[in-house]
Amino acid sequence: MRADRLVRCVRWTWAVAVLVAARSASAQASQGLDSATAAAIAPIVEQARAEKLPVTPLYAKAREGQVQRVPVAKIEAAVRTLADRMREANEALAPDASEQELNAAADAIKSGVPAQTLRAMRKAGGDGSLAVPIGVLTQLIARGVPVERASMEVVALLQKGAVARNFIALEESVRQDVLAGRRPDESLDLRLKGIIPNLPQSSAADGLTNASAPRRPR
Amino acid sequence: MRDINEDGDEMIRRIVDELKTLPAVPADATARVLARVDAARRGEGASDYGSADDDDVIFFPATTEEMRAFPSAGSEAVRARTSPGASRGTGRFSRRFIISLPAAIGYALAATLAGFLIRGAVPRRPSEPTVARLPNAPVAESLGARTKVVPAAASTRALQEAPLKVQFVLDAPRAKSVTVVGDFNAWDGSKTRLERDSTTGVWSALVDVRPGRHVYAFLVDGKTWTLDPNAPRTKDLDYGTEQSVMIVGMQ
Repeated sequence: MRADRLVRCVRWTWAVAVLVAARSASAQASQGLDSATAAAIAPIVEQARAEKLPVTPLYAKAREGQVQRVPVAKIEAAVRTLADRMREANEALAPDASEQELNAAADAIKSGVPAQTLRAMRKAGGDGSLAVPIGVLTQLIARGVPVERASMEVVALLQKGAVARNFIALEESVRQDVLAGRRPDESLDLRLKGIIPNLPQSSAADGLTNASAPRRPR
Repeated sequence: MRDINEDGDEMIRRIVDELKTLPAVPADATARVLARVDAARRGEGASDYGSADDDDVIFFPATTEEMRAFPSAGSEAVRARTSPGASRGTGRFSRRFIISLPAAIGYALAATLAGFLIRGAVPRRPSEPTVARLPNAPVAESLGARTKVVPAAASTRALQEAPLKVQFVLDAPRAKSVTVVGDFNAWDGSKTRLERDSTTGVWSALVDVRPGRHVYAFLVDGKTWTLDPNAPRTKDLDYGTEQSVMIVGMQ
């Protein structure tokens, strides 16, 4: 009898604690938004929350608009578009994308990267975080490298075992080349030649038609 | 069959002897254990000592004085407590010292969960700055080279996404205040105020930023949208404004 009462008490404690934590997180996230903006984006946020998408980026997008004194209707549209992109990113990077990856992927989709590329990146990248590779892909596209070309090269780099520092080095080199007046795609070609030979799976694949095939000792 | 019973009796005698040698065990608990062992040996099922709803109740004396008042779980105490109808609430062990096993586990779980929730709800203090980028150096060029990863979780991805210290620098000698707003601080200017160097007039701040591509801008005097002169720029398609861009990560 006493045990039942205590179990009930623990359940209530748990429920209250969850409620308080959820309210606190929500209040923290929406802090700084004026009431009109908060009310305008509330249904979008609720829908995203129901779909288990992170809602912090949605609040951040609204605050970004507010800082720039953008009209509420435009903020609402931007938040809605971001929620759609995050939904698409979440599907592409399923089953367990991190918030950083989702943010990066949503940005990439905004730049024109197809969901198919994100799926290929997840497959090639294994357990590693894709936040940096996706970010570099977006930045290469922003610099003027065609989407298809940039997507293909980034996926190929991941398949060859490239890690975050390789992508950052590539992006930085392309940036400097473009500042120096070189064409972005031409610079990408040039810089890949310097990065690929140093990747772990590039040297292993040299001279083999199938990198995973065992080689008979001679 | 008789041999087995004799072995069983011998074992019980040895257990009783062992229990008697223990100095500070409450007599009540010993008595209950003995009563159950006895009942089990006779095949009577549950002992009639105590009721069904207190199966998992353990009695603890609260102070050493109370424990000394019962120096041994000797035979007298055993007899007194094993007799049917003996009240478990009598003597110096009163109800306020009672705790049941599920209750103890429940309280422990509730306390742990509450701790986790409170820890998650309360923002953590930023860790001590590790290293900084030189003022006026291009952002992308120096990012990561002089930063350290603070491991935040065990998994590979969480480790790779651990925040890095990034220094933001703006040369604005006439500004009264400078904040940096970006996707890494949810565009909340109040979170990241830059400090002015009194000798150079350069504003700077160290900020925890997770690896990846980030967009940001400076807000000078709380209203003037100012881009980082040392960082590349991009146009935001949602709001149509220009922003500074940086790629953060270990090099």
